[in-house]
Amino acid sequence: MQDMLTNPTASLILAHADDKLMLGHVQSDWTGLGPILEEDIASSAMAQDDLSHALTLYEYLGNTYGLDPDVIAFERDPADYMCCDLTTQSDEFDWANSVVKRWLMAAFTQIAIERLSRHDDADLVARCGRILPEQNLQVTHLERWIKRLAQAGPESQARMQAALDRIAPLAGMVLEIPGRLVNDDDGYYCGREEIFKQWTDQLQITLQDAGLAATFTLPDRNVEGGRRGKHADHFHEQLTEMTEVRRIEPGAAW
Amino acid sequence: MSGASNPSQPMDPTGHEDPEKLAEFEQRIADGVLIEAGDWMPDAYRMGMLGMAEHHANSEIIGALPEGEWITRAPSMRRKLALTAKVQDEVGHGQMLYRVSQELGKSRDDMLRDLVTGKTKYHNCFNYPAPTWADIAMIQWLIDGAAIMNQKTLADGAYGPYVRTMNRINMEEAFHFKSGEDMVLTLMSGTPGQKKMTQEAFDRWWPVSLMFFGPADKPNAESRPPMRWRMKVERNDSLRQRFVNRFAPAAQDLGLTVNVVTKDDKGYVTSATPDEALMLDEATGNWSFTQPDWDEFWRVIRGNGPCNQHRLSLRRFSYEQGGWVRRAITSGTVSTPPAA
Ligand SMILES: [Fe+2]
Ligand SMILES: [Fe+2]
Repeated sequence: MQDMLTNPTASLILAHADDKLMLGHVQSDWTGLGPILEEDIASSAMAQDDLSHALTLYEYLGNTYGLDPDVIAFERDPADYMCCDLTTQSDEFDWANSVVKRWLMAAFTQIAIERLSRHDDADLVARCGRILPEQNLQVTHLERWIKRLAQAGPESQARMQAALDRIAPLAGMVLEIPGRLVNDDDGYYCGREEIFKQWTDQLQITLQDAGLAATFTLPDRNVEGGRRGKHADHFHEQLTEMTEVRRIEPGAAW
Repeated sequence: MSGASNPSQPMDPTGHEDPEKLAEFEQRIADGVLIEAGDWMPDAYRMGMLGMAEHHANSEIIGALPEGEWITRAPSMRRKLALTAKVQDEVGHGQMLYRVSQELGKSRDDMLRDLVTGKTKYHNCFNYPAPTWADIAMIQWLIDGAAIMNQKTLADGAYGPYVRTMNRINMEEAFHFKSGEDMVLTLMSGTPGQKKMTQEAFDRWWPVSLMFFGPADKPNAESRPPMRWRMKVERNDSLRQRFVNRFAPAAQDLGLTVNVVTKDDKGYVTSATPDEALMLDEATGNWSFTQPDWDEFWRVIRGNGPCNQHRLSLRRFSYEQGGWVRRAITSGTVSTPPAA
């Protein structure tokens, strides 16, 4: 476990996997409670994609470090989860929060996984190759919903803008350097500014089309949040809930 | 999960129908011809099928709730994925069945509103609590198992759109059942604590499963419209017997005890003793068993079950929270949501 947590590349992969785990965790909870049956089904499918993507990355790390993927997913110290602050944000049962958060994340992850897919490990490249088509579909689907809801009249426009105002200030933390145990060096997470620009340029095009507005800022390299294990209280509640059954009988099969 | 209960509408009045058309309709059914949405049908048949499909759709949607509450707590990535997909399937069943109902003349909006205002009902079994992970295993094994038995006979009915929907749904229910069986087997191969948890969940769900098929039919059920018109094709008692024949020995093989239980008003077991009546009659192949508490069944169906309020209020909350999205979709230029 420690080998994995101190390795920069593993931390980067873990950060994406943990993002996917938390996004999938929060969104799968909407299953059966979505605002429209069709979208309930579609968003649950995307939640399942996110959970599968998390799993395939945990499996990759599990193979590399000789760990059970479920142990990686469920049994780390809370401070060793590297999900960014955006993904652990509660939706507060507001569909606007869910759509905005997932859209910001999906657009970022698309770029990040595309970069990861240029890695020199064939197995990792293959796994990223399976994630990407589904990731692209998510971005397309969510972009359409952002525009759709923002343009459907004053009520939903206001709700979408309010969600954006709430969530956008946290968004830049997707580029926080992951892994509290990793020694920072300049080569690590290279092109951070470039990714940020690529990502936010893409966001701004959609926002403009939608008639919404937001500003995004890239936090300083030394700002610490979820990716370095400094999680908000609600993350600890989420993790406690997620592991509730497993903790009844540690080590048992379920 | 879930199956339709007995058609809820009173089904006698055909007096005002054209006798020739009625006779032709009944002949088509007797000949095994499927009735389609655009075909002539007696009003009572349309109302009955609508009530049945709507009740079934409601049950799928409410049925998503007890299991949905456990998605965030599923104990492994594989279980979390499978449970999410399972609950999503149930929502899909609801969507398909609402479409069948819409064709029979009621809008989806009206149906969803009638559900959350308590004007229409859903299957009784979802008014019971699922307090542990083992309850999720039991729901998928016993309730989905019971639903498959029921829905297989419904797929033998006469109304084409409903029959085709049952066939599609049953394929997915088979997956749910398999996954439930796998969960129960895993738990019963586990630690003493897991086994205890599983027996307790089984005690909660066994009587609910027996009630699943509804109370005994009237003696002349075969000649009354629901069966005469092949809206349903098998008696409730006969389905229940098949269920016991299949699941009582399966439970015993897994190391579970079939108990007769008493419950408090929260749906928790207050006493459990082995069902002395449980016995295989070699001659008929039927297992005898103790009937569930039918007074409780009527109490729960009238709205006084352990979780009626909880389930309905969550459904209503979700309906209200999503109102602005539905308004946005219908006020936009296109009236359907973007494709998935
Ligand atoms: Fe099912
Ligand atoms: Fe179902």
